[in-house]
Amino acid sequence: MPAAQQASFNRDIAPILFRYCAPCHRPGEAGPFPLLTYADAKARARQIAALTSKRFMPPWLPEPQELRFADELRLSDEQITLIQKWVEQGAVEGAPADLPPAPQFVPGWQLGRPDEIIEAEKPYTLPASGSDMYWNFIFRTPVDRTRWLKAIEIRPGDKRVVHHANILVDRNQSARRQEAESRAGFPGMELKIESENFDPDSHFLFWKPGTVPKPEPESMSLRLDKDTDLVLNIHLQPSGKPEKIQPNLGLYFTDKPATHFPLLLQMENDKKLDIPAGEKRFLVTDEFTLPVDVDLLAIYPHAHYLGKDLQALATLPDGSAKTLIHIPQWNLNWQAVYHYADPVPLPKGTTISMRYVYDNSSQNLANPNDPPRRVAAGNRSSDEMAHLWLQVLPRTSSNADFDPRMLLQESMARHNLEKNPADFEAHYNLAAMLQARGAQAEAIQNFELALRLRPQDATANNALGAALLAAGRISEAMPYLNAALRAQPDNFDAHYNLASALVSQDKFLEAIEHYRAAVRLHPDDANAEANLGSALAETGQLSEAKLHFRRALRIDPNHKLARENLEQINSDPKNLQQ
Amino acid sequence: MHRSSLTSQHLLSIFLSLAAAALLLLVLPCSLAAQKTALHLDGTPADPFLAASGKPVVLIFLRTDCPISNRYAPLLQQISSRYGAKVALWLVYPSRTSSAEKIRQHEHDYGYKLPALRDPQHALVTQAQVQVTPEAAVFDANHRLLYHGRIDDLYQDSGRARPAATTHELDDAIRAALSGKTPPPNAPGVGCYIADLE
Repeated sequence: MPAAQQASFNRDIAPILFRYCAPCHRPGEAGPFPLLTYADAKARARQIAALTSKRFMPPWLPEPQELRFADELRLSDEQITLIQKWVEQGAVEGAPADLPPAPQFVPGWQLGRPDEIIEAEKPYTLPASGSDMYWNFIFRTPVDRTRWLKAIEIRPGDKRVVHHANILVDRNQSARRQEAESRAGFPGMELKIESENFDPDSHFLFWKPGTVPKPEPESMSLRLDKDTDLVLNIHLQPSGKPEKIQPNLGLYFTDKPATHFPLLLQMENDKKLDIPAGEKRFLVTDEFTLPVDVDLLAIYPHAHYLGKDLQALATLPDGSAKTLIHIPQWNLNWQAVYHYADPVPLPKGTTISMRYVYDNSSQNLANPNDPPRRVAAGNRSSDEMAHLWLQVLPRTSSNADFDPRMLLQESMARHNLEKNPADFEAHYNLAAMLQARGAQAEAIQNFELALRLRPQDATANNALGAALLAAGRISEAMPYLNAALRAQPDNFDAHYNLASALVSQDKFLEAIEHYRAAVRLHPDDANAEANLGSALAETGQLSEAKLHFRRALRIDPNHKLARENLEQINSDPKNLQQ
Repeated sequence: MHRSSLTSQHLLSIFLSLAAAALLLLVLPCSLAAQKTALHLDGTPADPFLAASGKPVVLIFLRTDCPISNRYAPLLQQISSRYGAKVALWLVYPSRTSSAEKIRQHEHDYGYKLPALRDPQHALVTQAQVQVTPEAAVFDANHRLLYHGRIDDLYQDSGRARPAATTHELDDAIRAALSGKTPPPNAPGVGCYIADLE
């Protein structure tokens, strides 16, 4: 055979290996063995040929398409054929001069030394055997005021055991309630995070093996407030021996606040997930029409083990269609966020459709049930999901008198309610948004509808109570605020709101009890201290009132109410002896 | 080194590997220089069949760096406890370069309380007709090969694991060896090719 036709490692295979394999197949990374040298490759030659021809490795789920993704880890047909040829021809090394330079990797933190490193407080020990496990670590953030981040780097711990990880921003510290033991973390594949104000998630904070973190563009830094928790949700697979998992997060600050605000939109159709046992092609769809112009930055399809063929399309107002993503062989273990190489402009009026096909037959080797069982939507890995997340950057027009993100979220909430009038979250979220833009009556209506669906829900009861308070309907608010406290005796907001309601009814003594509870629950809330002071002052307990005003001022030296009231007490001649 | 054509290059590498093999044989103790053999971790020749007259012999072929093999550690320990002294069960490491030290560390890390052998010359690999780690071979009391192949069907493809195995070939084969019933058909394992590896 002429020498020119022979494939050699140095000339033909090394470039492929260095680019597509070495990032994970090197010491300290996710791959179980290295693929950095000729010796490494030759020892695994047949395995490499087999796995690349099946497109099992490198792991990349989406089909090639017109809208390219950044960092595509996909071999071309030619590259795969070349690998086969190399192995068939004896896996020779080739001329040393042909070998490209070894790939250079940044050791340790990929983005350099972080400004702050937060370590998980307690490690989690993954048992030696069993099926996939999800664990959540709560990181308390070390900021004393609002800061901006250009990146968060996730170091999950042992990269060979961690399949992927996700950060959820918990601005209300609501996830802490799920810990059985404080600071120990908690299990669970999917979690709900509660949010106080309209503050949609804006960034995907996702890690999978091979992820190279990239700093956000300067205009899109991520806001980190004081008292925000970062919940790291980690997917783990047992390795045969107990593994201690203790992840770290690296925070990289910037002093440039965001000027552009992307938004994560979630399309879904969980309600339609009722998959009979044995059904091979169960189709679930959702469609959403954009009310504003956006640029699509990234996409994240999500289903569980029965997901098979996942697809998202965009049909533009002019009738043209683009495939946003197509995954014909879904593998939950390789779920990933896909960033587009270039932002995809989608004009107002574009309809985005999600089409997911599920396979609940025994031929689906990933089926968690043997024999197959009927499966519905839910949070456990044996349940199913049909979610499609999109990171979009709305285009703001110069004369806009509305927040396009709010309009998007509102449209989405209304869309969800059309699909499912019994969607508690959609009612609640819509109500919250309506309230934020001052549509009080409609907000109250939607809180009421939410509450009808979950009458015991503390958050919804409190929210309705607060909305009624804001509308001056005090006596109507009281039963809801009381219900919130019955459901959740340690709900700060409910105590605070109820105390305010009682004050407006001149029931100061009762108000004091609730302000005291509020202060106990949130010792660094200046408003709670100041209001407690005011209520005490109203009942003549002046020295105690002063104590609380002073506390308020220690927390917030500019607190107007506390300062003015304290001055008033001090300057009143009747009070001089106190 | 300059290589002018395929033929001379090919021959050169055969020559080099023969030389290496010869060196290896010289280092081995005593009279088994002519015959391939497995080794105990202390370097002495081992014959798992000799030590197990009248008992079925079970050989499990593993690598220290194979995540699929490693995931089986708890199950293999369980299987060994289940059958106890009725069978002679060995872990076999066919790697040419893994040291005894590394294997002992591996056993320790994964909680293996099972006897281990090294098989750098692939004596047992050949006898057991295994191709991949992890694979198992079960020989009956007369030391006839009854089954060789996967431990169970947990892995369908490298990395594509079922939530739980639905067939349990190794367990079935051991029971067949003890009871004289029909063993399961050989089923290929999923993992790393033994022949290629160092």
